[in-house]
Amino acid sequence: MEKVDRRQFVKQSTAIGVTLGSGAYVSGLLGSASTAQASPLRPPGALSEEDFLSTCIRCMRCVDACPNRALISTPSHAGGAQACTPMMQPRKAACMLCLSEEGDYLKCTEVCPSGALRLIKKTKADIKERVSIGVAEIDFDLCYSYNNWSCGACFRACPLAGEAMTVGMWERPTIHPEACVGCGCCERSCIRYPHAIRVKAVAS
Amino acid sequence: MILQVLRRTVQASVLLVMVSIAFMSLYAHYRSARVIDDDQLMAGMRGEVVTKLIYPYIDALDNPTAFLDGNKGTLWSMKLFGVDLTDPLAAAEMLATSKHIHWPLLISIVIPVVVTLILGRVFCSWICPGYVLFEIASKLRKLLRFAEIQPANVSFSHRNKYIFLFVGLVVAAVCSAPLFALIYPPAVISRIVHAWVFGTALSGMLVLVSVLVAIEVFISPRWWCRTICPGGALYGLLGWLRPIRVKLSKSKCTGCMDCLPVCEAGINPITQSSSIECDNCGVCIRYCGDKALYFTIGLPGQESSSQKIATRATSKAAMFVMLIVPLLGPSTVEGHHILGLPHYSYKENYPQRPTLEYPATTGPYDVLLTSYPGIPVPGEAANIAIYIKNRETRKVYSEPITIRVLQTSTFGDNIIILPSTTRTPFDNEYKIHVTLPIDSEYIVEVSMPVEGRVEVIPFLIVAGQPTALASMVIVGSFSVIIVFVVIRAIHKKRQRKRRMVAGVDHGHEAYEAGSVMNLGEKVL
Repeated sequence: MEKVDRRQFVKQSTAIGVTLGSGAYVSGLLGSASTAQASPLRPPGALSEEDFLSTCIRCMRCVDACPNRALISTPSHAGGAQACTPMMQPRKAACMLCLSEEGDYLKCTEVCPSGALRLIKKTKADIKERVSIGVAEIDFDLCYSYNNWSCGACFRACPLAGEAMTVGMWERPTIHPEACVGCGCCERSCIRYPHAIRVKAVAS
Repeated sequence: MILQVLRRTVQASVLLVMVSIAFMSLYAHYRSARVIDDDQLMAGMRGEVVTKLIYPYIDALDNPTAFLDGNKGTLWSMKLFGVDLTDPLAAAEMLATSKHIHWPLLISIVIPVVVTLILGRVFCSWICPGYVLFEIASKLRKLLRFAEIQPANVSFSHRNKYIFLFVGLVVAAVCSAPLFALIYPPAVISRIVHAWVFGTALSGMLVLVSVLVAIEVFISPRWWCRTICPGGALYGLLGWLRPIRVKLSKSKCTGCMDCLPVCEAGINPITQSSSIECDNCGVCIRYCGDKALYFTIGLPGQESSSQKIATRATSKAAMFVMLIVPLLGPSTVEGHHILGLPHYSYKENYPQRPTLEYPATTGPYDVLLTSYPGIPVPGEAANIAIYIKNRETRKVYSEPITIRVLQTSTFGDNIIILPSTTRTPFDNEYKIHVTLPIDSEYIVEVSMPVEGRVEVIPFLIVAGQPTALASMVIVGSFSVIIVFVVIRAIHKKRQRKRRMVAGVDHGHEAYEAGSVMNLGEKVL
């Protein structure tokens, strides 16, 4: 065993200390961020938020694969644990459920290497059963159809119209949460600003 | 020499693959959603690249959709010609965070792992874009030394990176959130490239990379690769018993030590060529004047047998294997082409442009400011709607409020665009139409009575694309520094030349002394 001189010892222990310290700091950051932030809208087939954050490897393949560019990578200032994970902002682009794409599976679930997104078949039954991006909510103070106008834009956009959303008189929409998958087409199509209908992530 | 040309070619093609995968994804979006037409992103250079460089080549293929589907992702995990490739570090970390085995992920690391088992740490020296960046940083160091500015030369133990790998995995396992994914340079750099192509902001990542480069240039050469990189540590461990390694022919070596300062891994090729640190970059072979270093096939400690087969032919065979293995990835692109209806576009059915929301809270009220268009166009009227709702009673606020719009100004007072006006709600929201004159940041001040006092809520909105003063200052000062260093380098070179001509060789000695000092410090 060679003798370690003091200078070398101080230097090495400083290096290891800094490494450990920064590791602890980042872990604290990650820990606080994962609990404090509200969960954003995740792609179809995502695991529960906690499992999703621990399983997703942040490779951006699903962001690449989404044909409608609905998935974006969460900016790094959103908090350590959520940085670079995929999320959706339906007002910019909604999930089209790959309905007019080729292939048998939803594209983002097909390319996910880590299993953070479960493979979902492009059949109505599988989509209805296993996709739960969120549930749409209507703000009745903003919705034109509930405020002396008639609109119906959201109903025309809904890929599960008649099941997830029905309309009554003056095309007043009603959401059926058990059938709504949270694709966000209604939010994207709402002609009011701020939009009267928005998708809220399902608390898991 | 040829090996180094090959290495540079591989590095360049990896960079090209990174950029082109991102552009191909943009094009894939265009094919399926037709989002290019009205997209600000596509207006400039990106649109040109997609329409001129991507479109003609992809659409000439038999099955463009399958090809586009077969190329996705970043260097962290990538689908290349339909083959799944994942960084072993990603898989290790994912195992640590999720404590759950996902077989497709483990299958996708097989090719990198097998390549590493045979060829050693070649991911670092042949593929990693971070390595390229840090090689450039060490060239900058050389320039600094040439200009007789001595950057600090702190070195750390190479063992730290194994500790960091272990600690990082434990931290990831404890807090169930990945750490390496956010700091590992190849992942970060390819994410930055991706974000740049997609026009999204990843400023935090950019700051991280700049800090790393600054450390490499000014404090510790090749600090990241040699002493921190967890990926390098993992690849080193995997490639410990690599059959293809650098060998030294003791009979040929004259001990000139030319290989010592050029070693990318910071080891001594004469004594440590079989070490776990060696990344098989082959730079020492190029600089060896005696042809004493060569690639060989064999296990460590087999000096005599490897001496026997240590011919130029073996060396060439090793080179051939190193070249051919990455190309062996079979391209299994399958599928069939259906000319279907175009993806129905919202642009045709629902002519909305995105709005942007700025939420705020005051007292019991949620105040939501929405601007339409999302980023107002300077010189055109922007519609701004303010919607105030009581969080507790779920009732809309309907009393008059006061609104004022200011243009921010870096020097001096803010300019008033819209003087204070009192508004009453229409259809439950307050609306203003205001023309924002130039690309800048604006403040919309909303004043409303809350619990007996007047609250002023400032909303910062951006019109157009203002140039950030901070980034201009940073870029400007960096270029000034580089210009000064180059001027100083030229000046010093001339000085040395003059002294040489005059017969006094002090300047040259000083430069030589500097490089010798540096050489000494590289040996740990």
